[in-house]
Amino acid sequence: MKVLCTAIAGAVLLILGILTSISVGASDIDASMVLKSFFEADSSKEQTIIRTLRLPRALVGALVGANLAVAGALMQAITRNSLASPQVFGVNAGASFFIVSAFVFFPNLSSVSLVCVAFIGAAMGGMAVYSFASGGGMTQVKLALAGMAVHFFLSSLTQGMIIFNEQAKDVLYWLVGSINGKTWAHVNMILPWSLFGLLVAAMFSRSVSILVLGENMAQGLGQRVYRIRILAGILVIILAGSSVAVAGPVGFVGLIIPHIVRRLVGGDYRRIIPFSALFGALLLVYADILARFIAYPFESPVGIVTAMIGAPFFLYLAKRGRNIKQ
Amino acid sequence: MTGRVQNMREFRKVRTFGGGAFILLLAIMVMLSGCNNSQKTTEAEKTSAKTSNQEIRTIKHEMGETEMKDTPKKIVTLELSFVDSLNALGIKPIGISDDNKKEMITKLVGQEMDYTSVGTREQPNLEVISSLQPDLIIADAERHKGIYKDLQQIAPTIVLKSRESTYQENLDSFKTIAKAVNQEDAAAKRLSEHEKTIKELKSKLTVDSNMTVLPAVVRDTSFQAHTSSSYDGELLERMGLKNAIQQELPHAEMNLEQLVEIDPDVLLLANNEGKLLTDEWKDNPLWKELKAVKNGQVYSVDRDLWTRYRGVVSAEAIAKDTLKMLGEE
Repeated sequence: MKVLCTAIAGAVLLILGILTSISVGASDIDASMVLKSFFEADSSKEQTIIRTLRLPRALVGALVGANLAVAGALMQAITRNSLASPQVFGVNAGASFFIVSAFVFFPNLSSVSLVCVAFIGAAMGGMAVYSFASGGGMTQVKLALAGMAVHFFLSSLTQGMIIFNEQAKDVLYWLVGSINGKTWAHVNMILPWSLFGLLVAAMFSRSVSILVLGENMAQGLGQRVYRIRILAGILVIILAGSSVAVAGPVGFVGLIIPHIVRRLVGGDYRRIIPFSALFGALLLVYADILARFIAYPFESPVGIVTAMIGAPFFLYLAKRGRNIKQ
Repeated sequence: MTGRVQNMREFRKVRTFGGGAFILLLAIMVMLSGCNNSQKTTEAEKTSAKTSNQEIRTIKHEMGETEMKDTPKKIVTLELSFVDSLNALGIKPIGISDDNKKEMITKLVGQEMDYTSVGTREQPNLEVISSLQPDLIIADAERHKGIYKDLQQIAPTIVLKSRESTYQENLDSFKTIAKAVNQEDAAAKRLSEHEKTIKELKSKLTVDSNMTVLPAVVRDTSFQAHTSSSYDGELLERMGLKNAIQQELPHAEMNLEQLVEIDPDVLLLANNEGKLLTDEWKDNPLWKELKAVKNGQVYSVDRDLWTRYRGVVSAEAIAKDTLKMLGEE
């Protein structure tokens, strides 16, 4: 019952958020015009703005949010570590480094190959952190330290490239994570990966749930732990990599949302995964609306907003984890 | 039990694989840094101060005061506008931070010039600068604040606004440079000539006073408008062209919707090399509705000249460009 209510509330809030996102922007468009554009299409300037600029942007926001939140949930399950997320795990930084390199050395890459480049980077970043953190049992502290070390290492490489190439200055804005100015081309770029990643994640959510019980228990229940881990890892790379390719490394979504969702619907991954997708979309759509007001009428990157919400949350989690141990 | 052993093995496999990925990353890093490390390293040497009995000039600049004796002969400049300023006074710097693009300097000065590249403007190479044994260094207030002390160790240094300067600030910098190189009279003459040139060009330009212009830098993922407070924006205002964005901040990142909202009469686009965001925008029906697009008032301008050089000579070239584009047909 509670789950159903949460689902309905989440869906309603998401729809409201997308509608708000569509009606807020540089030019004045009132809510009635937004509704009208869905039923009575015409070629007025307002409706063209809605159809070609604001709607795809809201959709990209929702998809990126859903992707990152589910990627975070999967990572927390694989590592059984509540601080895991695409950002802490170096996945975002790896993808960013590879994309900036691509910008600098192969400026004419197509958007499809850019996504593939992001996948490779995401995989490398994630595996580097995993290999450093997993020696002799993965603790919260080890993961955080290895994650931060790799994150800073990769960021410094990215920064270095930007310093040496005046040309790459442009990337700075993208590096904070932004969905400003995204069009249908970007929706097409991320949608297939999102659909594939989210559906497969939902299908395997039962196995993921068992993974959380611990390796011995999962094996006892007839699960092939290694295979599930690999599959979940690939899903994380697809979900986070495609997000970074489109919107840049938007931080903290993958960290916060699974925790909130666990509070709301419990620890079963059959629920956590779809709800993470819903609430991740919700967070990013609203964060993007806020981002438009930070320096109104000019846009700020949405990554600033998620960082402002996420950083205190991260500290809260770290502190709570310590208290439990004591 | 066997399950556990197998699992451990697989676990180790992941670890070594991840370690391999990290080593690969390191290798890539080494390759990349190799690409950029072509500058020669030279032993740092201190310039011996020449003693002379000439009067001492005190030059006020952004980071304090610097005392100058004699007329400096070996000058190193760390921003492009300083090259322009010296060029206006007929002086050739011996070292320039040219981002390793000689052709950019050739275009700025209008002819091939002998000088030593001292690296990028963002990260000039201090060892190369010091090996040139300069007697004056001109640095930018924004980019080179952090290395001012180091530069001072090498030679008398003045720090001036260039990168984020307005048109007026740029003229002020020109005067300061003139004082530093002991050419104040020549500079005053050149400045009044400059004012005359701009006025003349302005008088030839007859435009509607309500007409708005918007200069902007277009890159592959951004459209950066230059407002009334930017260098080129202010220069255009001096020529009687109203900027479409009147604000204190020199730059504004814009998306298509904001551009549609502002809808300037004339667009002056300084396009970056490679892919452009506006190519994407051109497919959108809103682009075709822009006044500037409808009336054929979208011009592409030289990126180096309009947004990088900044100086007395360059400003005149920009003004001439503008007249050519917007003047009577």
